[in-house]
Amino acid sequence: MRWLAQVRMKIEMLFGRGKAAARLDDELQFHIERQTAENVAAGMSAEEARYAALRAFGNVALVKDVTHETWAWVWLERFVRDLRYALRQLRKSPGYTCTVIGMLALGLGATAAMYTVVDRVLLRPLPYDHPQQLVKIAESGKKGTVSWGAPYLDLREWAERSRTLKQIGFFSTANLSRVSFLEDNAGAAQVDSPQVSSNLFATLGVQTALGRGFKAGTDWGSVSAEDAHSLILSDTVWRTAYGSDSKILGRTVKMSGDSFIVVGVMPRGFTFPFGGARPVVWRPIILGDADKVRAAHGMASYQAVARLRPGISLNAAQAELRGIQAGVAAEYIEPFQREQVNSIELQTYGDSLVKDNVRKSLLALFGASGVLWLIACLNVTSLMLARSSARQREIAVRGALGASRWQIVQQLLAEGLVLSVLGSLLGLALGTLTLQLFAHALTTQFSVHQRMTPSVSVIAALAGLTVLSALFSSLLPAVGAARASIEPALRTGSPQSGAGRGQHRLRAVLVITEIAMSLTLLAGCGLLLRSIYALKHVPLGFRTDHVIVANMTIPAYKFAGRNMTTEFYEPLLERVQHVPGVQSASLMTEVPLGKTFQMIFTFAADGNSAADVRRRELQSQFRVVSPEMQKVFGFTMLKGRFFNQGDTPGSQPVVVVNRAFEKAWTGQDDDAGKILGTTLMSYGKDRKAMVVGVLDDERQVSVAEQSKPEVEVCLPQITPDTMFYKGAEGMAMDLAVRTERSPSSIMPELRQLLRNASPELANSNFTTMDQIVEDSYGSQQLATRLLEIFGGCALLLCVSGIYGLLAYLVNQRTRELGLRMALGAQRGQVMGLVLRQAGWMLLAGSALGLVLAYFSSLLLSMFLYGVKPHDPWTMAAVTVVLLACGLASAWLPARRAAAVDLMQALRTE
Amino acid sequence: MGKPNDLVQGTLDLLILKTLSPEAMHGWAIGKRIQQVSGEVLQVQQGSLYPALHRLEQQGWIKAKWAESETGRQAKFYSLTAAGRGQLQKESANWARLSAAIELVMAEA
Repeated sequence: MRWLAQVRMKIEMLFGRGKAAARLDDELQFHIERQTAENVAAGMSAEEARYAALRAFGNVALVKDVTHETWAWVWLERFVRDLRYALRQLRKSPGYTCTVIGMLALGLGATAAMYTVVDRVLLRPLPYDHPQQLVKIAESGKKGTVSWGAPYLDLREWAERSRTLKQIGFFSTANLSRVSFLEDNAGAAQVDSPQVSSNLFATLGVQTALGRGFKAGTDWGSVSAEDAHSLILSDTVWRTAYGSDSKILGRTVKMSGDSFIVVGVMPRGFTFPFGGARPVVWRPIILGDADKVRAAHGMASYQAVARLRPGISLNAAQAELRGIQAGVAAEYIEPFQREQVNSIELQTYGDSLVKDNVRKSLLALFGASGVLWLIACLNVTSLMLARSSARQREIAVRGALGASRWQIVQQLLAEGLVLSVLGSLLGLALGTLTLQLFAHALTTQFSVHQRMTPSVSVIAALAGLTVLSALFSSLLPAVGAARASIEPALRTGSPQSGAGRGQHRLRAVLVITEIAMSLTLLAGCGLLLRSIYALKHVPLGFRTDHVIVANMTIPAYKFAGRNMTTEFYEPLLERVQHVPGVQSASLMTEVPLGKTFQMIFTFAADGNSAADVRRRELQSQFRVVSPEMQKVFGFTMLKGRFFNQGDTPGSQPVVVVNRAFEKAWTGQDDDAGKILGTTLMSYGKDRKAMVVGVLDDERQVSVAEQSKPEVEVCLPQITPDTMFYKGAEGMAMDLAVRTERSPSSIMPELRQLLRNASPELANSNFTTMDQIVEDSYGSQQLATRLLEIFGGCALLLCVSGIYGLLAYLVNQRTRELGLRMALGAQRGQVMGLVLRQAGWMLLAGSALGLVLAYFSSLLLSMFLYGVKPHDPWTMAAVTVVLLACGLASAWLPARRAAAVDLMQALRTE
Repeated sequence: MGKPNDLVQGTLDLLILKTLSPEAMHGWAIGKRIQQVSGEVLQVQQGSLYPALHRLEQQGWIKAKWAESETGRQAKFYSLTAAGRGQLQKESANWARLSAAIELVMAEA
């Protein structure tokens, strides 16, 4: 039970220190009294006895101190004392304190904000068992990685032959972009409803919290036919849609018109695929005839997620699967399909969630914030050096009074700690504010749908960084101060005696480093500004002003068996066109740069002629549009005509292509219009669609990318018996409206109109075309804004660093400068002296900074558009800006130096 | 602290534990007892006695209680804990071995 006694003692000593001290006094007092009594008994007089007792005891205060030292928590007591002293010191010089706190807040705030984003996007924990063992398997080949998955037969082959994979599960998100409407207690909830294999949850290492998973069928991975209409709910759906109903199992629910029986509920926090915006329910994969054949990008394709056997590396598994895939590809009958799937790409599941360029851009920005933090720390170090040399005498006095060197170091470190804790609190507030300001951009860029608030791990990292900042910025000054010998400092007694040359040189080196790092950040900022400027001047090929876009989620199930075109889209469009202030309105599966939905059209072409190969490889954007589209967006026709009212279900099917399509189709780059009259695709029996127009190229995928080949088909001509009716009309549709009215005034009206058309449409996402274009600048825009902030802060820190050092030096040299003037130096010469000092620091810093920028701008190359990483103009411009700001900051101390009052200066000591 | 009784750290602890083994005592009495029993050879200075007592208390070898002393005034009485008794046995054995060893070396020389 000794530990119990120890713990009790520890607690007593922590909370009852005052009492313990009083008791110690009493204990020692008793000792003396007892000795006195003994002495009296031995025959001394009372007075004499007391003196003898005291003499025998020795130094009471010392005994008390030494005993005190044996107590628990002595270190804490000392620490608190140091902190208290530090606070008192800092209160005495509020200017210095505020400057340091502000500087640290900038550095720590930027880093905390960026780390929050990194934490949310790159480090988010996946809610699966040993997520690092989970990999995503994709076939790849001549056209790159196949993103839509692989046929069942291929997956089964991998599962049967692989020794490195423990298990392969699969799922289909083919209709993930089409929202499902789950009828619940209140109405219809919008959910994602991916289909999953019977072994997917087992592969992820997660079991249902309630009920069961899907029953396995006879074929590998398949779900038994008796579970064909079973549904598994996520915890979120169970809670929000069904109020955590404990009798949910076995209940029949309707989703997008079909009936399902709930058989299970997944545990809280589980979601799959990871990162979707909507709550999820899971439907089973029931194999059908389509799964008995291999067809690259056939209708039945599945995404595969597998678990590596313990100890197997990603590369080993990939090598094995590539070997297996060679055999699998040989099973493809069509040679051109074979060469699209002859290899395998393996990625950990976590990596597959974040695009490579997003990861790189985030890390680059995180690096930039780290540089800002370093600059801030250097600046603070420099300030603390100045302060510690001004406090030399005070420190010497403490040394003379018996403080050990270690105690002095501890004291100064405590001061640094107080400053950096205050700085990090302010920084945390700044960082949170920055994240709020950038919330929209961060969400669109990184598709993180939680709020970006610092998490526990961010706070922990910030705490670590705070301590590091304190050590970094105050260790050097502290050790320097503690090592200084006491005696000379006490003797000189002049505030100007100051620090030696060594310290000046050290501070100059700090400032030069700061200048160099600031220039690096500024160079990056400059390059990005040039890129954004170039991007904003890219001709898009359509008008973006005064266009309002509603991205609608279509409840297609309500129109099963009916013609959506005539019963839903056309009446809706008609009503929108009659809203006051609407000049024109149109429907389009996806507006240019919309990034909400994408359909790719490919062409089958047998044969081996050059034209056949070219057409097989052509992947075309595919859009269903209504005839008014050209009026809304002002696309330019190069040849032929756009759709018009004469294009009806009964008339000749027509399509319009863009210039890029024509080039890819004909393989020639000469006059537009040759493709007119070609029949491209079939709408059904005897309905071949003919090209009637060629549009000029427009940027439809991304502002930075050249126009992609595109085919547009006419909405009124699409009927339920058209081949691609379901995909074209039932998934997504954007409503684009050209109006002179302000978005805020017309949006509620349009929303009401959509609600009347169908209640689900009230949730449609409204935005303006300008905003869509703005969002599509995406990573560049965000990176530029953030680097603008970082660069601005760096410049500010740098300027204050130069100013601080020079002001200090001028102050130190008042006497010397006065003497020089007394000996005949002109004021201009004195100013030159100070400015020269600033000049060489700036030049050295800039030179170093340009070298750093040369390398660091390579990291930015993926953000750059229309400018080379080593663009000399940008480099020159930022250098000039930095030099100008630096000289301006030196101007003030220089003027003060020149204005030194001669007599005053000579009398200073 | 005078040189002759500049006891090795552990030795003072051992002496205190041994002194406390029959009964609880206050600080003054502990010092007095060690002095008497050692035939006035060992004089424990207050500057080492009280820190040692407090350290032993923090470590849980001894415990303290305020009680009325022989003079009628309240005093802090120290007594061994169960753990302290065990520690005393261990330390005494160690001491016996050490002093026997030293004796052997001295006898040889």
